[in-house]
Amino acid sequence: MSAGAAVVDLRRYACPLTWVKTRIALERVGEGDRIEVWLAAGEAVESVPRSAAHDGHRVLGVEPLREDPAGFRVLIEKGAPAPGELA
Amino acid sequence: MSRGPAPLDDARLARWARQLLVPGFGEAAQQRVAAVTVRAVGADAVASPALVYLVQAGVGRLWIDDPETVSPADAGGWLYPPAAVGTPRADAASAALARLSSYVEVAPYPMGGVPSATLVAAPSAAQALHAAEAARRAGIPHVVLEADADGGALVSVPPGAPCYACARSTGAGRPAVPGAAALAALAAQELLLLVASPGTVPGRRFDLVRGVATARPTARLAGCACGAAREPAPGAPPG
Repeated sequence: MSAGAAVVDLRRYACPLTWVKTRIALERVGEGDRIEVWLAAGEAVESVPRSAAHDGHRVLGVEPLREDPAGFRVLIEKGAPAPGELA
Repeated sequence: MSRGPAPLDDARLARWARQLLVPGFGEAAQQRVAAVTVRAVGADAVASPALVYLVQAGVGRLWIDDPETVSPADAGGWLYPPAAVGTPRADAASAALARLSSYVEVAPYPMGGVPSATLVAAPSAAQALHAAEAARRAGIPHVVLEADADGGALVSVPPGAPCYACARSTGAGRPAVPGAAALAALAAQELLLLVASPGTVPGRRFDLVRGVATARPTARLAGCACGAAREPAPGAPPG
């Protein structure tokens, strides 16, 4: 989906840890960098992209995972930090 | 070469997942909270919700500094069962709080121990002033509660801000209502903010009246000793 994006495999986690770990992964990269989040099919495939967009990041795509028919990959580009964000 | 704190493991992420989702809070802030040692001066029924809050939020270590025993009024609060009446508050609070989280070390205050933040919920104005002044001299963030019925005030003092004596209430409040938790929770939240986001929160005072909190910045009283280190003496060479 995107060469060079760090892969965060969260297929074994459930909400809210899926978004907590996605947020932490986004904290660790710079603005404009991309991460590829792997999620198990289900509620997280909708909630993680929605939460990422809500926090000001760009969701570049959501698609089935080639490596796992029960999984999805979400490509996210880190946006600018929100005002008041604790470094 | 210094290394940062270890990433939070899955168990800790799961424990604190809800607050890690709070906008503006994140792993680094949680790690700063987990690294702090808080001295809690006073552990009566008014203070107990704040102590519960600090433990649940994941401070690293909580020292209970209270020389009194559990009173019947304390048993109306959050921490102490009726059976604890008459036992030392520091021991009873430590035991009750330690049961709430395996990630927090709770113990009676070790004489001479050096905390990195202080929560003051002392039973008298003199004790509150003394504890706050010790924290100011140590250069650590501290928050002081002044309970008044089911509300009251709190003064938040990050390092270098106007001291508690500059911003405290001068009148006597009404007796605190055991079990009222809003002021104590607000105080714990404020202390966590000082720890999680050092240097970004100004000295301020909250007044909580009928459930409504209002905040205003604190101002240094003319001539107060807390400004001595920050204001050059007349005629002194520029630093």
